[in-house]
Amino acid sequence: MLRHLYRCALRLHPPGFRKRFGAEMLSIFDQSKEKRASLRLLLDVAMSLSRQWLLRSEFWGETPAAPAPQPALDGVPSFCTIDSFHPSPAAFVPGLVLSLAIFSLTGIAIKHSWIHVLRIRIPEAQLETPQWIPETTAAPQVGLSGSGQESPALASSESTAALVSPPTAETPKESQSASNPQNPQRRAQSLSNSAKQSATAIAESKTQPETTAVSSTVSGSPAAVSAHNWKLDAAEQQLVIDGAIQNLQKYYVDPSAAQRIAAVLLAHKEHSDYSAITDRQVFANLLTRQIDAAGRDKYIVVVNTTSAVPDRPALPFSQEVARYRKQMAESNCTFEKVQILPHNIGYLKFNSFPDVSVCGEVAAAAMKKLNGTDAIIFDLRDNLGGNARMVAFLATYLFDQPTHLNDFYNRGDNNRFESWTLAPVPGNRLTDKPAFVLTSASTFSAAEAFAYDLKMLKRVTLVGETTSGRGHMGAPHSIDDHFMIRIPGILVTNPISKTNWEGKGVEPDVKVNAVDALATAEKLALSSLQKK
Amino acid sequence: MNEDLDRFLPLSPATLHILLSLAGEDLHGYGIMQEVARQSEGKYKLGPGTLYDNLQKLIQRDWVKELGNRPSDDDPRRRYYRLTSVGRGVLSAETARLAAVVREARSRLQIAKPRRA
Repeated sequence: MLRHLYRCALRLHPPGFRKRFGAEMLSIFDQSKEKRASLRLLLDVAMSLSRQWLLRSEFWGETPAAPAPQPALDGVPSFCTIDSFHPSPAAFVPGLVLSLAIFSLTGIAIKHSWIHVLRIRIPEAQLETPQWIPETTAAPQVGLSGSGQESPALASSESTAALVSPPTAETPKESQSASNPQNPQRRAQSLSNSAKQSATAIAESKTQPETTAVSSTVSGSPAAVSAHNWKLDAAEQQLVIDGAIQNLQKYYVDPSAAQRIAAVLLAHKEHSDYSAITDRQVFANLLTRQIDAAGRDKYIVVVNTTSAVPDRPALPFSQEVARYRKQMAESNCTFEKVQILPHNIGYLKFNSFPDVSVCGEVAAAAMKKLNGTDAIIFDLRDNLGGNARMVAFLATYLFDQPTHLNDFYNRGDNNRFESWTLAPVPGNRLTDKPAFVLTSASTFSAAEAFAYDLKMLKRVTLVGETTSGRGHMGAPHSIDDHFMIRIPGILVTNPISKTNWEGKGVEPDVKVNAVDALATAEKLALSSLQKK
Repeated sequence: MNEDLDRFLPLSPATLHILLSLAGEDLHGYGIMQEVARQSEGKYKLGPGTLYDNLQKLIQRDWVKELGNRPSDDDPRRRYYRLTSVGRGVLSAETARLAAVVREARSRLQIAKPRRA
């Protein structure tokens, strides 16, 4: 033990000294029999160590003087080594343990670091839009959401996709099931699915031109399908189930429901319910149904990415931003109608909540146009949601002071943040005007947030139908090359009701069919103006 | 030559003892330690750290030369050291200096004694 320490101390000496005298010093140590003498030598070597490093810098790099070479024996090859030191085989074990420990510590340090250079929060903070929209790359949205603080930034990727489709009365629920030729991306997805299922090159080659014709952005799909056309096997099923359970337990807003879902999936696996399935799409759909049955949440979706993901080649960040800006410019940021109706009632119909950094000016211009009206109607009947900052941006026009709209809790990183309206807009005259929000069964996500928050603050009257009921924000999590799972991971809580509209939808104050909502709201606005 | 050597004087006790121990015969490190202990009757103990630190310096100044190991020796790790002519010169100069010191001291002490008495 003492000898070991002595050797360690010797090794720590400057190389010049160590090579020249190390072996001799050890031989002297070996001559001392008594423990006391050994201890004295240990003290001596410690002092020598500090002396050599602190006071003898001129000798640090000194190479040993060549000792008298041993006469080589005839026929025995002689080797010359630069350094006589060789690690013993036993040293590899502590070396391995040490490397692993350092590696693990580094990993843990990165994970728990407060400097989240690599963390991209934005995909976590997407207000959910209908699930049929193929997942688009989330990264570019980081920039689009601006350098905003903790504000739940938004579903820009989803809203971007939503904007591709013309505004229709399509509801998210309907759209889960089948086909809507009006949405090119979705159509492309179903086409590529069919291509996959037919599993023949001919079917794929037929599909390709058609898909390309629908939208040039989806031409990558068939190639991707053919590249991943291997059958699903039991090992991958196990992997996908385990991955889904792990992600649910980590991210899903309701931990107990996540446990329940996990138990159900494992029970199905136990009963070999999946053994006959070799098609990934069938497997993904089945898992989604079983999760919905167990967890009562139709927004947890297992997605077969083999057919859905490669909608278009990933663009560089700047091009993504440019693409988004172009789409917004072409669609006037989805602000479809800005009108002044009879009796000086303002009417604003917009079909998403786009990113403030891109569409803030369009939104502000619309609100400015309606600034002189005596009442205002926000038509959200075709609004598929989007960016929570835009919710706050528009709500700002209805208040004369910053107002607390929502609390967000991201379970994955245990992070809380709040959404507030901004500072009052100078010259705005709408803060005390009657306001109405039109809703339909397809009003979704951020649009529901707008309706719900203003209803809770008793600032608007909701007219129309109960909304679709998307209260949590979610994000996709990759499981393997072929599957991912979309999980609602951000809990939205209204500070007044202490709850949200998840699953229930937002109840209107005046319940009428969506088609009659505008006329009803106009009547209500007129009567409230006449009362004044 | 002597002027050159004088700037190294006085020698530190360790250096003096090492040079002195090598004055008789070539020794390995452990041998030097034992010889130093013997010469000083056990009063001056030189640890290996101090020994090799000094040897390093002495070799660099070319006062001592390293001979490598001797195949006949039982421990192949041992290396032998020999005093060079320069080293011998330094030792002589130091001895002369010490002799002068001793002489001076003796004469002073002899003068002092009667006064005290």
